[in-house]
Amino acid sequence: MIELSRVSKSFGRVRAVDNVSFKIKKGEIVGFLGPNGAGKTTTMRLIMGILKPDKGKIKVFGYDPLEDRVDIARRVGYLPENNPLYPELKVKEYLKFICEVKKAKGFERIAKEVGLEEKLDEKIENLSRGFKQRVGLAAALVGNPKALVLDEPTSGLDPIEQEKIRELIVRLSKDRIIIFSTHILSEVEAVAERLIIINGGKIVYDGQKPKRKGTVESLFKKAVLQ
Amino acid sequence: MKSLFKKEVVSYFSSLIGFAVPALFAAFSVFLFMKDIFVIGSFSFVNFFSIIPWIFMIFIPAIAMRAFAEERKRNTLEVLLSLPLFERQIVLGKFFSAFLVVVIGVLLTLPLPLALFYLAKVYLPEVAVGYFGVVLLGASFLSLSLYISSKTDSQILAFLLSALSLFFLLVLSSDFAGSVVPESILSYINFIFPSFHFDPFTKGLISLPSLLYFLSFTLLFLFLTVLELERRE
Repeated sequence: MIELSRVSKSFGRVRAVDNVSFKIKKGEIVGFLGPNGAGKTTTMRLIMGILKPDKGKIKVFGYDPLEDRVDIARRVGYLPENNPLYPELKVKEYLKFICEVKKAKGFERIAKEVGLEEKLDEKIENLSRGFKQRVGLAAALVGNPKALVLDEPTSGLDPIEQEKIRELIVRLSKDRIIIFSTHILSEVEAVAERLIIINGGKIVYDGQKPKRKGTVESLFKKAVLQ
Repeated sequence: MKSLFKKEVVSYFSSLIGFAVPALFAAFSVFLFMKDIFVIGSFSFVNFFSIIPWIFMIFIPAIAMRAFAEERKRNTLEVLLSLPLFERQIVLGKFFSAFLVVVIGVLLTLPLPLALFYLAKVYLPEVAVGYFGVVLLGASFLSLSLYISSKTDSQILAFLLSALSLFFLLVLSSDFAGSVVPESILSYINFIFPSFHFDPFTKGLISLPSLLYFLSFTLLFLFLTVLELERRE
């Protein structure tokens, strides 16, 4: 379970995350929606222990990111915003490195799962954006994590690649917590079961995704314009 | 730590830094030493070792500048911090991989004493102690440069600030400082500067306080780098 309780984080005078609370249980796919600068990335970094909160409590499978960042990293796969990678490495070298750090085996199986088996010997810098995104996803999947935290996993991809990544996320969701941030409304409709909308650092909506098509858009507009 | 060390070594040798910087270091130091032989007509390894800190002043920041500044710039530090790696493992992985490049540069100068051993009378144990001092000095300069690299996301800034810091460390303990600072004060402050501790090694003497000085200097800046990463701001 991932639980945030009254969490706040400021950068100078800007309050990026303001009194945020939510709980996510096993098996949930949560779409984390919000306009640019709403606080999605900061919240995800707080969950992973990459940033320290100013106030509030976070628990990730019972671990506190402040004290137990490494324990969380063993259980949660993370795809950071803009998918930073090491361009000078080959796909194989990068995935092997992640496997070694996570003490996991079978990078070939993961590469096959995300459709990278033909690209293992290519340098990351020579890959298309879509394949780079798959490398980031493959790295997040190493070690069979109990949860995946994906920050804008389809950002910058063409519609076909976006669709492929969405299908992949749904396929990966079995028995896992998946939190993915996005500002693409159709993506939330296609993938998420639960919707959390954040704006100005505050949670403005937290509930099940509306069943009727197109409702997410009106819900989003209403929540953000509130 | 081992996995990060391996990845870092691959990264160093995927770029020019891994090959060009050690080669240039060896070429410069050997050239400056050979120049003395031809100009003065004699040689001393003390002279050779005395130019090494000044070449390190450029060579080590060039190796260390990318270590953290590039990770910050590319946001890959976020990737490292999302992996089950403690901050100290990240710092040590970075340190030992960069240290390997420094040692390669130093090893490339080895043909010089070996050649002179055959051509002239060189007392090799004395030279070996000098090289040991060079490695200790390299480790301490490297840890300072890594710390500076961890404070910025600009490689150029990391390079310039590291080179400048090393320059001041060297100048303040050189003969130049002796002519500006009164000798009574100099004898006290000299103890904090690396050149003062490097000096016995260049003459073939292993000094325990100097050995401890270099180890403490290196550990201090590695520790500060760990603290910098642990800030998580």
